[in-house]
Amino acid sequence: MSDSVLLDARHVTKSFGRLQVLTDANLVVRRGELVGVTGENGCGKTTLLKIVVGLLEPDAGELARHGRLGYCPQESLVFERLTVAENFAYFATGYGIGGWRPAMKRWVEFFGFGADADRLVDTLSGGTRQKLNLALALLHDPTVLLLDEPYAGFDWETYLRFWELAEVLRAEGRGVLVVSHFMYDQARLDRVCELREGVLTCV
Amino acid sequence: MRLTRVGTATALTLKALVRRRIVLIMLVLIPSLFSGIVVLTTSERPIRFQLASLGDQAFVVVPQRHEGLVFICLAAVGLLTAFLALDLVQREVEVNRRLVLCGYRPGELIAARLGVLVGVIVVIAAYVVLIIPLFFTPQRLALVFVGLVLGGWVYGCYGLLAGAVFRRELEGILFVVLLTTIDAGWLQNPIYYAEAQNQAIIRSLPAYFPAQLGMAAAFTTEQVFRPVLGSLAYGAMLLLAASLVYAFRMRAGKR
Repeated sequence: MSDSVLLDARHVTKSFGRLQVLTDANLVVRRGELVGVTGENGCGKTTLLKIVVGLLEPDAGELARHGRLGYCPQESLVFERLTVAENFAYFATGYGIGGWRPAMKRWVEFFGFGADADRLVDTLSGGTRQKLNLALALLHDPTVLLLDEPYAGFDWETYLRFWELAEVLRAEGRGVLVVSHFMYDQARLDRVCELREGVLTCV
Repeated sequence: MRLTRVGTATALTLKALVRRRIVLIMLVLIPSLFSGIVVLTTSERPIRFQLASLGDQAFVVVPQRHEGLVFICLAAVGLLTAFLALDLVQREVEVNRRLVLCGYRPGELIAARLGVLVGVIVVIAAYVVLIIPLFFTPQRLALVFVGLVLGGWVYGCYGLLAGAVFRRELEGILFVVLLTTIDAGWLQNPIYYAEAQNQAIIRSLPAYFPAQLGMAAAFTTEQVFRPVLGSLAYGAMLLLAASLVYAFRMRAGKR
């Protein structure tokens, strides 16, 4: 794997029972690259991402990952009965970040929910939960960021902030993979891969 | 295993649990309700029963109400801890898988749940053991407390196993209800045991050792070394099985 390659998935195949979801899919994310994966609902985008992250095992294929992975799942996978700050503490301990409060401050202020730091997650709006979901993926300063429908529920301002951030990360030499069922922002991406009937085509 | 991660996971699991007020209310309400029903439905008529751990010829004669109270308190602790353990493992399982991706080991997460569970078992047992002296004075109250704790330990570990094995809530609940009802809520009652056939089956069930310990402590002065060790070993086996299944389920690459 070349030094610039952060993620390399080769000949990935996955089926659930008789349903063939991915057929010989190849995907590469390099440093300083913003890659999009698009396709219809249910075409297997999330399955592909889960395989890349390591949450699912492929039936066949090879995967190589380089650097720290940041993963933002489609649903907000956060602890409902904990506060925003407690969620940060929980995840930061996993990442091995000792002084996590400055990192938390940076991201809650960036996404504009600093006032909610001491609120229980189950009292937050869907959009704020999604901001927290994304902020937790960014907490450990990842080398490559894997985002599954990251801006679902975002207001317009946060949506724009998200793309601003993606461009900053690209400029810093990180890799960003964005999965979405519609890609309004293809012009912002370096490459777009379309998943259709299990076949991934990158242009 | 990193103690920092276990410590953080334990503290935050406990915080999340304490914020569920209804659960806390149920933990207090259920033993009181069970004991109340026993007190209302039993008499002071003496009954004679055999305690298996004391040998075939050893019989105890005590008022029906006293035997019923000790038995129902053991059943209440077992039932509550099994459900609590099931919930601790099944709740937010996908968030916990995300934690594994972030660096936690499944063993650290299960250790945190076990830590919370043991704390809750001690609190429930302490509360329940205070109910019994309201109605009679057991021979060795401290050992009755140990029996309740070990009943919680065995059934808590069983709940952890059920939570690790079953993905869905309903299957887990049925698995817990089935065994706790039959075992802790019925077969381990010494009145039933004394006349039962195939007693080896009853002796192999999870509540056997804690029930023997609780009864022997409440009504005799016999030594209870064997039921204590048996309870600890039974719980440890269930815990080992739960940890293995949980680690398998939580490892990356598995759903």
